[in-house]
Amino acid sequence: MSDLTYEARRARLEPLFESARSLLDPSSERGRHARERLVASSGLSPAGVDFALQRCLEIAPSEPEISALIRSTPTAQVAHVLLSANVFVAAHRAIAIGLAASAEVRVRASRREPEMAELLLAGAPGAFRLVRELSPSAGDRLWAYGSDETMADVATTLPSGVALHAHGSGFGVAILDGMPDESDLGTLLGGLAEDVALFDQRGCLSPRVLLVNAEPAAVSALARALARELEQLARRVPRGQLTTQELSEQAKYRDTAIFMGEVFEAGPGFVSLGEQGRWLLPPTGRNMHVVATPDPLAMLAPYRPLLTSCAFAGEPAQRQALSRALPGARVCRFGEMQRPPFDGPVDLRET
Amino acid sequence: MTRNAQSDDLHRAVRRFATGDRSRSFSELALEIAAFQRQFSAGFARLCKSRGNSLTRVDDIPGVPCDAFRLARVALHPESEDRLRFFTSGTTSGARGMHAMRVTETYHELALQFGRSALLSNERPHHVVALAPLLDEPPTSSLGHMMAMFMVDFEQRGPFDVRTHERWLIDDRGVDLTALERAAERATKRGETLLVLATSFALVGLLDALGERTLPLPAGAVVMQTGGFKGKTREIEPSELRAALARAFCIDHARIVGEYGMTELTSQMYEASVPGSALARERRGQSGVYAEPPWLRVVPVDPSTLEPVPHGEVGIARIVDLGNVDSALAIQTQDRVQRVEGGIVLLGRATGAPPRGCSLAIEEFMASVAR
Repeated sequence: MSDLTYEARRARLEPLFESARSLLDPSSERGRHARERLVASSGLSPAGVDFALQRCLEIAPSEPEISALIRSTPTAQVAHVLLSANVFVAAHRAIAIGLAASAEVRVRASRREPEMAELLLAGAPGAFRLVRELSPSAGDRLWAYGSDETMADVATTLPSGVALHAHGSGFGVAILDGMPDESDLGTLLGGLAEDVALFDQRGCLSPRVLLVNAEPAAVSALARALARELEQLARRVPRGQLTTQELSEQAKYRDTAIFMGEVFEAGPGFVSLGEQGRWLLPPTGRNMHVVATPDPLAMLAPYRPLLTSCAFAGEPAQRQALSRALPGARVCRFGEMQRPPFDGPVDLRET
Repeated sequence: MTRNAQSDDLHRAVRRFATGDRSRSFSELALEIAAFQRQFSAGFARLCKSRGNSLTRVDDIPGVPCDAFRLARVALHPESEDRLRFFTSGTTSGARGMHAMRVTETYHELALQFGRSALLSNERPHHVVALAPLLDEPPTSSLGHMMAMFMVDFEQRGPFDVRTHERWLIDDRGVDLTALERAAERATKRGETLLVLATSFALVGLLDALGERTLPLPAGAVVMQTGGFKGKTREIEPSELRAALARAFCIDHARIVGEYGMTELTSQMYEASVPGSALARERRGQSGVYAEPPWLRVVPVDPSTLEPVPHGEVGIARIVDLGNVDSALAIQTQDRVQRVEGGIVLLGRATGAPPRGCSLAIEEFMASVAR
């Protein structure tokens, strides 16, 4: 069987899936060990690490999803994977894409956070190689994940003939097109709070802004309710440690937001309320900016290249319009922003 | 009393303070202005409330983040009363902020008074040129406006049109070295003191254009250097730049004087280094140490808590500027500073938290939106 047949590519994925599954049980030796290491490296709280593993690690992707992942992944002589830090579960999907591309997969983990790649390899020995430096040659492919700055550096140093799939920085938004009834609203905001809290908002899928098509007074009440949801969630899943720089960014954001409008304490973070048309991108660390707008799609227009994910609640026709307007973003339901289908890279923007 | 009447009173009090009237102390004036701003600025009132509404000490006055100038109007008066509007040039993060002024006299008097003190080193007539693009009309750059004011005031020959290419020595092709040489020759011939007002990136451009050559300035010439590089040119360490400029202009290091100003402020700080200047006589400052005028105070604060740090420790600068009567008395910058004897050492800008993982950093966001 050739390395390039669908069956061969599919077979290479199974040991990785098994390795991921074996991390999930916190009472197992491997699950306990994984949690200890990930808490130490990620900056998340122990509950935050467990929450992320339970909610976001794809342990049972469906066959149609796996099929889509394989069919959308080009093959390569050698697949190189450059991982970013913090959204540790992302290593699983990134390595899966590498395995779908080639039988020879070399992975360079983030220096700051190599744990997840090492844990996956320990559970699937020989499935891929962990290397200190990547040295791709012509005919190889490199999947790179990280900040735009890192992507720019990678692009300028890559030998010719190497295909680069660069997935840089981004952020998510949520859109509430109209006010749902109270019970639905609670579910939606609870889901959004989880989307925010996962990875303490450090991922490119993490929502930072909520656009609401409703009267300003209702939106103010909604912002307050979101703050309450975040506060309650933080009791169950505390935020981890922020760096001094992150705390500084948060202090600056908080005071800027206070100067511009209402701000609600949301446990360890804040929910700010913006005037119509005023965007304020909160820093990571469980902060959300809420804006009332009669036309959320129009408000998104300038930010399209930056958007990786968009949670939507509202009329189906509007959702379709949103999907057309944001072909590079994954449009999903509230509470599912951090769990996109396992059908390829989470970042669908053109690379 | 109406808002404008209160504002006018405060402006007058600040101008009197600047000329030596100490019937009200810095703290008293600052707290009066803060109370005035709390009354008429909803944003500032919210900031005060978030700090418990206590305005009993200067350290209690919350700083308005510079970002607010980019995202909202920071002025107590309506747009119709603006007499000057200065725009930020856009830092690495892209978006531009605006500082609107209703009363220009205070800005002019404060800038001129401390500028004279820091930059004028003798009684001889001065000739002033700027390594900056021709000033626009109306002026939108606070720095350009200040340079134009210095040209008229320091030359002491009455009002004249400063908008000529003999004064503003940068165009699309870069620094006009020939024009600078002509200015130097003119000053030498006429026995004038040449004052060159320049941004750091213009000076780097000049050094690049000169290469190994020198462009000797007349004895007694002073070069005022201000601002960062803002990604417009290669960056050079301040001490290295100063040494290179001293070499290129054949002048003493002490005659290259740093100025610190911001669009969001009314007042400026200077190094007290120019021999013979009033500021150097008063403060005997060292190179790299910026002296505050009596009407401005820098409070280094902890970047996370925004509380003042112990004396001598590094913090980010909260700047309390009595000149900002109608905007924001206290500005919270991201500039890292340290208080030392004689003033403040600038340690560069605290950059935003680097993106961990693939989350978008705020600076990336602002830059992307501005493009």
